Amino acid sequence: MKKIVTVLMMLLIFISISSLAIADETEEENETVDLEIDDDTKKEIEIMNYPLGAEIRLLQLQKVIIKNLLKGEMAVEVLKALEYNTTTLELILSEMKNLLEDVKAVNTSSNDSVQQFADLKYEAKNLTMQFRETIKDILDEEKLKEIRERIKEMVSEELQNYSKQIRNKIKQFNRNRLYQLYGIIGEANNSFINEYLNGNITLDQLKFHLCKTINQMNKERKYEVFSEIKKDNIKKKIKAQSSIDNMKNSGKGKGHGNGK
Amino acid sequence: MNKKIISIFFLLIIFISITLAYSYYTIYNNEKQYDNPIQTISENNISEEIDETFIEEDDEIEIGEMV
Repeated sequence: MKKIVTVLMMLLIFISISSLAIADETEEENETVDLEIDDDTKKEIEIMNYPLGAEIRLLQLQKVIIKNLLKGEMAVEVLKALEYNTTTLELILSEMKNLLEDVKAVNTSSNDSVQQFADLKYEAKNLTMQFRETIKDILDEEKLKEIRERIKEMVSEELQNYSKQIRNKIKQFNRNRLYQLYGIIGEANNSFINEYLNGNITLDQLKFHLCKTINQMNKERKYEVFSEIKKDNIKKKIKAQSSIDNMKNSGKGKGHGNGK
Repeated sequence: MNKKIISIFFLLIIFISITLAYSYYTIYNNEKQYDNPIQTISENNISEEIDETFIEEDDEIEIGEMV
């Protein structure tokens, strides 16, 4: 009798442990899949469901690639003056220039603009890392510090133009979201929107005003408005996740790790 | 024979108790997770959702430094 009880107990313990092990394995698998695209990119993709959002993200990518190209070119000039071999670095910069053309060529209204953005950003991160590692092998820390200081002072009209263009597009994007929010709240304050567009009030002041308006509502209406806003934000996240899933299914999103 | 039946019955009770306790714990936790945001909407909750709606004007993409 004792034997039977012991065997049964052992069987129960074995079943419990194996089911726990299976559950753990599944969780680990899920985590690996989630890590394929880094959190920053996931967040950036969220606004790309709006055509203006896609435009903003691609312009931002162009700007950051140009910034790195200019910095890279400056570093190469310094190295050339010191008579170092810069062939590998120049090759990386030439690849980066081609990449910039690819980013400029992306059609923001196409269905796969999200996939293209993630791919191109991943590529840009990779080339930047390659450049950084290569220059690290050539120079010692002291000289690298010197170059860092020099390129810090870099001023570019092209970059300033990009910044202005992006800022204007973000303002337009925020204006559209503001109209959407006023639609939910049920009242539109056009003068407030114009004040924001003209730069007379900041985004923070605008957000504060919206919070105050919602907080002044009665409890039920506040819940209603809050739920609607939350619903829209969740929809945005779901759409972004579905774009990421499509990317993974089509095999294009593979390898989008941290790209450090 | 009686002892055998009693032991198996006893084990069965233990097994069912564990299953029920686990299910209750999981359901309770899930309910807690979904109920909380609805029951308490603070100013912070509202401002978090509003923040999510807009993009900061100085927002930038990071791809790392060249040097």
